Parts: sequence; structure tokens; C-alpha cells
Amino acid sequence: MLAHQIGYYSLILGFFFSILIIPVSIKNFSNKNKVINNKVFSISFFQFFFVLVSFSGLILSFVNSDFGNETVFNNSHTTKPLLYKISGTWGNHEGSLLLWLLVLTLFIFIFLIKSNSQPKKYRILTLLFQQVIIIGFFLFLLKTSNPFNYFFPVPKEGLGLNPILQDPALAIHPPILYLGYVGSSIIFSSSLAAVVEKHISNVWAKHIKFWIFVSWIFLTFGIMLGSIWAYYELGWGGFWFWDPVENVSLMPWFCLTALLHCILVLEKKSMLSSWTIILSIATFMLSMSGTFLVRSGILNSVHTFANDPERGIFILIFLFILILFSLVIFFVFHKENDQKIVKINWLSKEASILFNNWFLMYFLSVVLIGTVYPIFLEVLSSKKISVGPPFYYKLIIPFLIPFLFFMSIGPNLNWIKSEIKKIKIQIVLSFAVSLLISFVILNQIGFVGLINSILILVTFYLFFITIKDFFLKKFKNYSQIFSHFGFSLLILSILFNSILSSEKIINLKVGEEFSFREETIIFESIESIKNKNYKSIVGNFKIKDKQNNFLQLKPELRIYNQPVMITSEADIKTTLYYDKFLVMNLVKDYEYFNVRYQVKPFMIWIWISTVILVIGGFLSLFQRSYEK
Amino acid sequence: MKLSSFLLIILITFNFTNLNSEENNDKIKNKISKNIRCLICQGQSVYDSQSDFAVSIKLIIDKKLNEGLNENEIYDFLKKQYGEWISYDPEFNKKTFILWILPILLFVIGGAIILRKFIVQKL
Repeated sequence: MLAHQIGYYSLILGFFFSILIIPVSIKNFSNKNKVINNKVFSISFFQFFFVLVSFSGLILSFVNSDFGNETVFNNSHTTKPLLYKISGTWGNHEGSLLLWLLVLTLFIFIFLIKSNSQPKKYRILTLLFQQVIIIGFFLFLLKTSNPFNYFFPVPKEGLGLNPILQDPALAIHPPILYLGYVGSSIIFSSSLAAVVEKHISNVWAKHIKFWIFVSWIFLTFGIMLGSIWAYYELGWGGFWFWDPVENVSLMPWFCLTALLHCILVLEKKSMLSSWTIILSIATFMLSMSGTFLVRSGILNSVHTFANDPERGIFILIFLFILILFSLVIFFVFHKENDQKIVKINWLSKEASILFNNWFLMYFLSVVLIGTVYPIFLEVLSSKKISVGPPFYYKLIIPFLIPFLFFMSIGPNLNWIKSEIKKIKIQIVLSFAVSLLISFVILNQIGFVGLINSILILVTFYLFFITIKDFFLKKFKNYSQIFSHFGFSLLILSILFNSILSSEKIINLKVGEEFSFREETIIFESIESIKNKNYKSIVGNFKIKDKQNNFLQLKPELRIYNQPVMITSEADIKTTLYYDKFLVMNLVKDYEYFNVRYQVKPFMIWIWISTVILVIGGFLSLFQRSYEK
Repeated sequence: MKLSSFLLIILITFNFTNLNSEENNDKIKNKISKNIRCLICQGQSVYDSQSDFAVSIKLIIDKKLNEGLNENEIYDFLKKQYGEWISYDPEFNKKTFILWILPILLFVIGGAIILRKFIVQKL
């Protein structure tokens, strides 16, 4: 009760401070001082501080199971383990918005501290633009989704958190993802401020690069966590479903990845300034519309947990205002300040980054159109269609081939111009090696289709080129080498995983067995175990291979008490070569279970390679300057 | 040239792995059920779901396979029964050509813009 009230009043205090920043910083903006007034720092700090207190208040209400709080009542239960009581704070609409707000206020405060070397007016303008977003979120929170609604009489018990959300990976997935989303808001405000202040330059590029990489790291990592969760909790061995909500997180990722490459050109060659700004604006807009699409309940998805038209309309209007606002600023203030329009050479780093952006924008448009088109079609002609994996595969996979090829060659080209003659022999040699390797592998596993074969070839090419760069290149850019290497490994693992996976689905009674390839799977027994907030039925399975080695797998069925729901927990045996994945399911009115057994090669490499990709991004934060 | 001759070699020298027919049948069944939406679920495919609806669709797929229908015929059959919404692979028709064409169109436009960057010498 106390925590609840502190939380509520802090939120209002925070709102007060966020309004207060505006007059104070406007005053500071127009005076002659070269530095930002300390008052601005302190108010910005208090803004963050009170939101933090408010958020902690909500967490405490969850921990104490204060069911008078409507949010806690709807999403928690006394028997839940502590971790999931805490993660329940952001496992719902109101709490997750409060978390958005918390990160927004934190980031702008860090921005103020970190941007010392930049002009004062630019910093204050960034702050002001950021405040527009923050105030928008405050209003949204207080008006339509207050996490601190209290009611009497206080209920004895809460409704509980959706059991599929009670999972360690999912406990940290939203905060990490939000750090990425919200990081893009700083890029957004800062690029608008830089446009107004005519500060778009290589100095600005160098400074904003930090925020681009930080957002990218969190976004990538956040998406990965979600995908890991989907793998062992949601899916039957799948890890990416092209579900609208997944797509929504992928869209800002494409945009941010494009921006991350584009900013290098701005930094080095002072080119592509307009394009950089457009990407900065677009990334944040995609993050925002992601929130809108998920929250409004328009999308048909496993992730949708709250739909309320009022909220949808609010975000839609807010989004519309922001877009209008940024477009006006862009067209009124932006003058192309690329000193001269230079011709770009085909064989140059700039050109390959342009290609990178070209393809990433294409992937983005495929995902965007694929996600949004069915919604529009239904509204306009009331015809329902589904756009799923086959659509995305058909439009994306063929284009991956040139994309990966440019990705291999690009980093080996010089800025401005490279001579064909000077392209080193190793580059050709790597290609020969990849040809050979792909040929041997394809010969082993059999024909996998023309496109897949070429894809394997170019991915190996990227793989070997990055290895070559790691050992032989003179000017080592570890960040780029790690990331590109990680990406090649990611594509390779996904490819071979999907080509070589095998599975068996069968109905089985206790005591029965079945054979699959060279293994025998024996369903030995079941036992029932009682836990704090669920009852579980554990199946004991033994897998016997050709050499009579045994492997024990124990998939589980959980019957949660609050809310009542049955989930199946797969048991996965992970090794470096493959995952063995076993899951069982109840079949209504029958005494047998539906059992699925899958062998999924290289599964763990999908996560390892993503981590390498992220490490590459992380390394860039410590790299003084990008090459030569 | 080198690439195309290499591909030719691949095509010729492949030794196709032989799957036994039962396993092959399972594979095709799973593939179909992954491309079919479970209409009563929240964004899950028939393959991913254990709902009554999904189970019955899986039985239908099984039955139709045994009757000798091929993959596309089964999609057509299901679309006829349950409407186009059930298929994750949208058709190319009057209502959906924008969906298929627009991304490609944007790709071409993007290419044209980039091409200009290479050609424009000075202003």
C-alpha cells in the first residue's frame, strides 16, 4: 500500500519535472553561456529519479503482492516465485510502458552528461525533443494506462501471470529490447536537433555513433533472447515464426543496422547526410509503431496481451504528431550540406555500404509490407489473408545471396576507390576454398536446391574472408570482422539446421517405444510432482543409440494453478553438434501422449553466432576511430 | 562462368540421399502443416498447435496424402474448405499482387537512386 502510493505520487512528481525542464532549458538555450546550466542537469536527474522511484514502487507492490493495485491484481499471484513476481512488473501493458518511460528518462540524462564536447544549443535542443516524447509517454501512462489504479476492497488473491511468460529468458527479454528501442529515441531527437542547428557533420557522426551502437547491441540481444525463449517454450523446435510481433522488432533492427553502416560514411566522407537523418527518424518511428501495433491489439499474435481501442488511438495520434513534427523539421531546416556532390566509384567502401543499405531497406520493406498488408486488406475489402514464412522465404532468401557477397567484398575495399588489379589474391583464394568446401558438404548431404546451394557457397565465402581478414589484414577493424563473421556463422547454422533437422511425431503410451533413424526412444514411466504454483507430470524417456549409449530426457507437462493453464516444457539435450529435443503433449480423452522427438543440428551455434555478432558491436565502443 | 560450370557439376554429381517412404511422408506432412494456419489459435500454425482444430486438420492432411493428393492439391483443398486465410502462402491474384510486387518495385527504385550516385559527376 505504501509502496503503491509512493510509486503513484513519484510518477506525478516526475511528470511535473519533465514539464519544468522545458522553460528552464529554453531560457538556457537563448542566453550567452557556453555551457548548460546545472539546473537543467538536476531537473533532468530528478525526472529520472522520480520515475525510478515510481518504478521501484510498482516492483515492490508486485513483490508484496499488493492486490489493491489493479496492475498487480491482474498479473500476479501469491504463489508465484519471486523472480516472476518481479518480472511480472513489465510483463503487462502498464508496467512495460512505465519501463519505457524509465529508460527514456535515464537515457536523456546520460546523453546530457556524455555530450560535453558538443555545442550547447544542439544538446539543449536534443533534450527538448526528447522531452516531447517523454511528456507524450507520461500523458499516455497517466491518462490511459495508469499502473497505479487502486481499488477497494482489496482482493485476497491475484489473477496470475500467463504461465508461458514465467521464464528466465522472458524475464529479461523486454527490458533489454526496450533499451534498444528507447536508444533509438535519442538518435531521433539528436538528429532532429542536429538538423536544426546545422550540426550534421562528421563530428556529430562520431558522437552519435555511440548511441547507434548501444541501441543496436541491445536490440540484437533482445531479439535473440526472445527467440531463445520461443525455441524452448513456445515452439516445437522452431525459433522464428515470422509472427507479426517478431517482425515488428525486426523492422527497427534492419533500419538501425543500415544506419550503423551509413553513419560510417558520414563520419569518414561527410556524405549521405540526408539519408542518415531519414534512417534516424525511421528507426524510432518503427520502434514506436511497433509498440502501437503490439499494444493496440490489431495484430493476431501470441504476444498480444492487452487490447484497448483507446490506447491504440492515443499511440496512433502521438505517432502521427511525431512523424509530422519530424518531417516539418526535416524539410524546413535541412539543407544538403554535402560539400559537393561527388561521384561514387563502383569499387569503393562507400559503394558497398550503399549496397548494404539498399538490401537492408529491401528486407525492411518485405517485412513491413508483409506485416501490414493483411491488416489494410481486411479493413478495405474485408478479405482475410495470412502472410507467413513461405512469403518471407520467397522474397528474402534469393536476395541474401548478393547481400552476403557484398558483405564479404565490401570491407576489403578502400574508401573512394580501389583498383581491380590491387584486389588481393587472397580474396580470390577464399572464394576457391569456399567453392571446394561447399562442394564437399553438398556432396555429403545431397541436393538441397539451387538457391540453397548458392547461398551455402556465398555464406562460406563470407566466413572465410572474415577469417582471412582476422589474420592477414593490416588495418584490423575487429568490430567489423567479428560482426561479419558472426553473421556468416548465423546464416550457416540456420541453413544447416533447417536442412538437416529431422523429427518424428508419434502417439505413445507409457511403456511403449519407437525407433527413429538409428535410435530407439523408450517411454519408461511418468511421475507427478507438486510445485508451488503448478503441478507437473514428468515423462521419463530413454534414448538408446546404435552403440547402446543411453540418454535420459524428461519432458514435462505443467498444470498451472493461476491462471489455470497447461503448458508443455520440452527437455533439450544440447551439445555442440546438435540439440535433441523431446516434448510431449496431452491428447484429450486418450491415455496416450503425443510425443515429438527432434534432432536439430548446430542449434546452439545460432545463439553463439548471434552473441559473436553482438560482441562485434560491443567492440566498436572501444575502437578509437574507424580505420585509417 | 566458373560459377555456372561448378553448379552444373553439382547438379550432375549429386548422389541423392534416399529417405524411406514413411519418413518422406512425415516430412511432407510436417511441411504442409507448417504452412497452414490454426484458425482458432493466436498466430500459430497447425504444426505448432495441439488444439482440436489443429489435430483434425492434421488428420485431414494425412487422409488426403493417402488418397494420393500432392502438396499443392492439399493447399487448394484446404483453402476451398476454410478460405484463403488458412494458408500462410498468399496467392498471387488481384487482391494480393501489391503485396508481392511492391517490395520488388521498391528494390528497383532504390537501385535506380543508387545508380544515379555513380553516374552523377558534378552539378
